[in-house]
Amino acid sequence: MDLTFTEAEEDFRRQLRAWLRANIPEEWKRPGFWESFDDDESFRLRREWERAKALAGFAGIQWPTEYGGRGGTPGMKAIYDEEMVLARAPRTVNPLGLTFLAPTVMAIGTDAQRKEIIGPMLRNEVIWCQGFSEPGAGSDLAALATKGVRDGDDFIVNGQKVWTTNAVHGDKIFALVRTEPGSTRHRGISMLLIDMHQPGVEARPLRQMSGASEFGEVFFTDARVPATDCLGEIGDGWRTAMLLLSFERGASGIAQYTEFRRQYDEIAAVAKRLGRDRDPVIRDRLARVLTELECLRLHAMYVLTQVECGRDLGSESSMTKLQWSETFQDLWEVFDDILGEDATLDSIGELDLRPMHTESMWSRSVTIWGGSSQVQRNITAERVLGLPR
Amino acid sequence: MYFALTDDQREFDAAVRGYLAERFDLAAVRGEFEDAVSAEPVGEGHPEALWKAAAEQGWPAVLVPEDHEGLGLGMVEAQVIARALGAGMVPGPWRGTVLAGEAIRLAGSDEQQADWLPRVASGEVVGALALRGSAPGTIPGVEYGRIAGVAVVRSGVGLALVERPGSYATPQRSYDGTTRLASLSVPDAGAVLPRASEAMIVELTARATVLVAADLVGIARESLSRTVAYDRERLQFGVPVGSFQAIKHALADLHVGVTMAEHAVLYAAYAVESGLAGRELAVAVAKAKAGDAALQSTAAMIQYHGGIGYTWEHETHFFYKRAKRLAGQFGDSDAQRQKIASLTLGPVSA
Repeated sequence: MDLTFTEAEEDFRRQLRAWLRANIPEEWKRPGFWESFDDDESFRLRREWERAKALAGFAGIQWPTEYGGRGGTPGMKAIYDEEMVLARAPRTVNPLGLTFLAPTVMAIGTDAQRKEIIGPMLRNEVIWCQGFSEPGAGSDLAALATKGVRDGDDFIVNGQKVWTTNAVHGDKIFALVRTEPGSTRHRGISMLLIDMHQPGVEARPLRQMSGASEFGEVFFTDARVPATDCLGEIGDGWRTAMLLLSFERGASGIAQYTEFRRQYDEIAAVAKRLGRDRDPVIRDRLARVLTELECLRLHAMYVLTQVECGRDLGSESSMTKLQWSETFQDLWEVFDDILGEDATLDSIGELDLRPMHTESMWSRSVTIWGGSSQVQRNITAERVLGLPR
Repeated sequence: MYFALTDDQREFDAAVRGYLAERFDLAAVRGEFEDAVSAEPVGEGHPEALWKAAAEQGWPAVLVPEDHEGLGLGMVEAQVIARALGAGMVPGPWRGTVLAGEAIRLAGSDEQQADWLPRVASGEVVGALALRGSAPGTIPGVEYGRIAGVAVVRSGVGLALVERPGSYATPQRSYDGTTRLASLSVPDAGAVLPRASEAMIVELTARATVLVAADLVGIARESLSRTVAYDRERLQFGVPVGSFQAIKHALADLHVGVTMAEHAVLYAAYAVESGLAGRELAVAVAKAKAGDAALQSTAAMIQYHGGIGYTWEHETHFFYKRAKRLAGQFGDSDAQRQKIASLTLGPVSA
């Protein structure tokens, strides 16, 4: 058992921490700061900050240096994720590109794609969207209907994507498109890399129950994409998508733990302020959440150990998703119960509850996106426990 | 970062489980169980061959220092054994013996250590640890109190060593036939363990709690694995019942819960062994999580076996009953959560 990081890893932590301390203005950490801007302005600010961070060498932590990455260890990536949360750094504006597209391009992209995609993404010159879900294809992704028809060297794309993160700020979208006429289910799909700045592509914000618009809709009306802008083979898009989604395994439980634990402490402080920490039921429920948070922290250490040992976690990543998303949701349910009959108020006395309500509403989404809890349970039951389909 | 068992620890685990699979399977457990709950038990739930083999393989010696002819290993290895014994429903005084040894190691005089620890390590002496009650007086729920050669009990604020406590023992009948219990009526204070202190009893309790949690998590994993195996095969409506989503989702949730409990027990063992600052929280989390996992998993074992799971002839009830008893030891999950709340929210404010 060794629960420490190496000296090189701790050295990396010190460098990163110093850079973050020098480069995150104090006022950015004030609750409600980011909400005081309109969406475009806040996105622009975060985009520029993240670019500066990349230029300082704090991006692509585990990527090979030949792609502009840092060539770091899995431990360094875990440290990076943790320190970003501790420093209250802005969240990345390019999450789908960095987490999913880049490693897929490194694995199966052409030389031209590697060159054109990875560097500009790292510097935030291109913001990538993911075009998977459709109105008729949610958990059943293979039901997707967006069509691409061959026209000379191009595909002409028609259809609609939904739940697209950063849709209105995106520059390009990696989209699953049915390129073989008459194909069904997993066959005849291609992953096309589509320029969003063209007349045939329209992105609209999607207003969520929280009032925010992290997600959007993307409409394709005779959008044009060169057939060479296909990641993986044409018609082999399902396999490309499965490879791409497998990179979620690196998703860092330690960052989630760090963030949720801070939220737990904030919620506990509210409970004390309102005298609700004396209620034995509330105490029990907070202790239940803390127990699950501790388990999440330990699970993150377990996952990191497996990664460092070169083991493939495969479908076990469903367990990670279930543990963090269900715990996060439970945490915010306790918060509502602490507030009791004042649960929906914007404020209690001097206490502004709105930023916490935003998190509470967001917690309803996390058990849906990225594979709903029900899908994760199916995967766990069938692929980990071996129960029959 | 390395949060997992080492190869050596895994081999140790495989050796314990391998022995149990070949030489002391559930049929053997049933023999002891039936005797324990019979009107007039003939045995003491302490099969000689099993204890001999355990001693040969070093199970009771795991925490005894090498100076006293033990293996000098730590709590991480001890929880490996405890888990395997829980998974196997194994009867016998292993935990009590190891913990009595720990009490003597932590609180005993040099003479007491030299006298007892080598005999604990070799399996010559069976031990018991009882932290309820106080001597002189009645000490309830002592595992294998009738056959123990030595029991460590509370005496006022300290600890005392009672030799051959069997002479003060009255058997306590329990529906958990995998373990024998006795109540001790100790007439005098016994021999004092001179280095006992409040802090030391806290440490001892933490170690005992981790080993109980490890047994529980072993029960939880084994009962889940057996249920999954059964539901893969059991046909109803022409298909395996494990293909039904209502069952799949319940078993998937249990798998997540049991896995988290395994992490929590492993970490608590390491935290106690290494004296980590957060060990008190780690132990409470481990016991709460392992207790819940075992109770849920064993109840699910009955439910998802259907009618056969409610019969005496099936082994489900061994798992369920052992979990019921152990979940209450050293503070049940509710009590652990009260502790967790105190550790993270502070005591209840005025």
